[in-house]
Amino acid sequence: MNAPVTIIMIEDDEGHARLIERNIRRSGVNNEIVPFRNGTDAMHYLFGKDGSGVQHDGQALLILLDLNLPDMTGIEILRQVKTNKYLKSAPVVVLTTTDDSQEIKRCYELGCNVYITKPVNYESFANAIRQLGLFFSVIQVPSAA
Amino acid sequence: MGQILLLAAGFLVLVVVSATSVLYVSKSREDEGWVVHTIEVENQTNALLLEIRRAESAARGYLLTSDPDFLRDHREAAALILPELDKLKELTHDNPDQVENLKRLRSAIETRLDQFSREMTFVKHGEPARATALVSEAAAGDTSSTIRSVADAMRREETRLFELRVANADRSQRLASAVTIAGSGLVVVLAGISMFLLRRSARERDDAEARLRDSNINLEATVDERTADLREANDEIQRFAYIVSHDLRSPLVNIMGFTSELEELRGDIFRRIAALRGAAAVAAPVPAMAGDADALPEDKDRQLSEDFSEALAFIKSSIGKMDRLITAILNLTREGRRQFEPVRIDMRELIEAIVTTLAHQAAEAQAEINIAPIPQIESDRLALEQIFSNLIDNAIKYLKPGVPGKISVRGRTKLGFAVIEVADNGRGIDPRDHQRIFELFRRAGNQDKPGQGIGLAHVRALVRRLGGTMSVSSELNSGSTFVVTLPVNWRFERE
Repeated sequence: MNAPVTIIMIEDDEGHARLIERNIRRSGVNNEIVPFRNGTDAMHYLFGKDGSGVQHDGQALLILLDLNLPDMTGIEILRQVKTNKYLKSAPVVVLTTTDDSQEIKRCYELGCNVYITKPVNYESFANAIRQLGLFFSVIQVPSAA
Repeated sequence: MGQILLLAAGFLVLVVVSATSVLYVSKSREDEGWVVHTIEVENQTNALLLEIRRAESAARGYLLTSDPDFLRDHREAAALILPELDKLKELTHDNPDQVENLKRLRSAIETRLDQFSREMTFVKHGEPARATALVSEAAAGDTSSTIRSVADAMRREETRLFELRVANADRSQRLASAVTIAGSGLVVVLAGISMFLLRRSARERDDAEARLRDSNINLEATVDERTADLREANDEIQRFAYIVSHDLRSPLVNIMGFTSELEELRGDIFRRIAALRGAAAVAAPVPAMAGDADALPEDKDRQLSEDFSEALAFIKSSIGKMDRLITAILNLTREGRRQFEPVRIDMRELIEAIVTTLAHQAAEAQAEINIAPIPQIESDRLALEQIFSNLIDNAIKYLKPGVPGKISVRGRTKLGFAVIEVADNGRGIDPRDHQRIFELFRRAGNQDKPGQGIGLAHVRALVRRLGGTMSVSSELNSGSTFVVTLPVNWRFERE
């Protein structure tokens, strides 16, 4: 039996967070969403007090990550998540306004699973999130051992 | 200048020394010739006196012994006297004193010879007494002493001349060697001065070269510094533009997102209102009064809904426009950060490729594109493609409606630059707008074609980055010519 997937949303823009949440819900995904407004809080939650991330061992997590955060870059969070043995299997979806090809390439090199550019065109935006909903349905979460 | 003067002076000194030496050497040779001549004259005088003595002593012998041997001796000697005298005359004819002396000598000798011949005659005729008397007479007479004294005078004169001429010859030799020594010394001094001057000027040249090198290094350092400053400022602007345009996008996503949400809400609200009204109508049907009142609220709702839609549409179109502008700025800054790579480019091929991709638009606009020879250049391929596809695209886009378009691309080389022109017979640009068209987001003329006002700004930025310049010449309604001047060999500066 798979544990329900927890969605961790690291997004500093409240509006974006709200739009993302709405569209996720509209696509029929009812999983718990844990929102963070800055990198520091998200890192505390992900890696715990000792910085090992052991408390998430066996949990099914999906991370929605914005790259432009006020206190640190999303790239740094991505790098740490993907080098942590308890967290590296969690899918990371980078969702950001940056459409620079160098940045995209760098994210994929660091182990990002999906890179979505936030389009100003709302239809595309909503569509991208709905695609994400489909993505949830096929996600393979590591079984709680 | 000084060097040339020195050389000339040295040469002059050499010439003077040589000439003087030659002169004095020949003079001393001449003087020596005179010395030898004097000795010859003395010898000749002695030889003459000797012959006279011989004749005299032989005559005496013959007188004493009557031996014919003495007589023969005397005749030999007497025969030699006059030729010897002639020789002496020959030798001394240049000296008037000696000529005078010689005259006296000759008369004395002739007198003496006459005595001799008379003596001999007396002896032959057996009258020795008369001969002896004649000898005594001769001895008593002054003929012999005259001969002796004149010969002495001649010898004295020659001795005097000898001393004088030896002194002359010595002086000539001394002068010749003095001139040679002085001249050589002068030449050595001049050579020394010349060497000193040469060394000084060499040192000055070395100093000047060192200073030049220093100032070159300084200049390069200054240029490098300024270039670094400029590059930093440019990078700063690029980063600034990038961040600003990027951060502007974030709120724009929200505005667009929530506008769309509002649109959804609008639908929900009006559906809700319609539903409520329907329920109210069912609950309290007032048919008599509803004739006017029912139609009115529905029309009002429609009006409200349309106003709502109009407002939302304006917001959305503005957002779309703003997004396009931000995207354009982002693309420009991205272009500005791209590393250029200069390669050898066949410009004709490049233009032909662009024309091929624009063939469809050209056909639609009935435009004919003519490509004249264009010089090859070394530059960034992608940048050149963007520059010329923008210019040719513009030329096609802004033709005169209803007039078949004629577009030509041609090039030439001028002082290390390739001058490439894109000319059309299109609608032209008012000279007042020639600056404006190169500015970002600015356009000119009839706004009947879609566009952001970015193309030419981008083109000019690229041309500048490639080390070139660009300009336009155009009049309204008479076509435009865009001139791009690019270095033939763009020297790439790695940033």
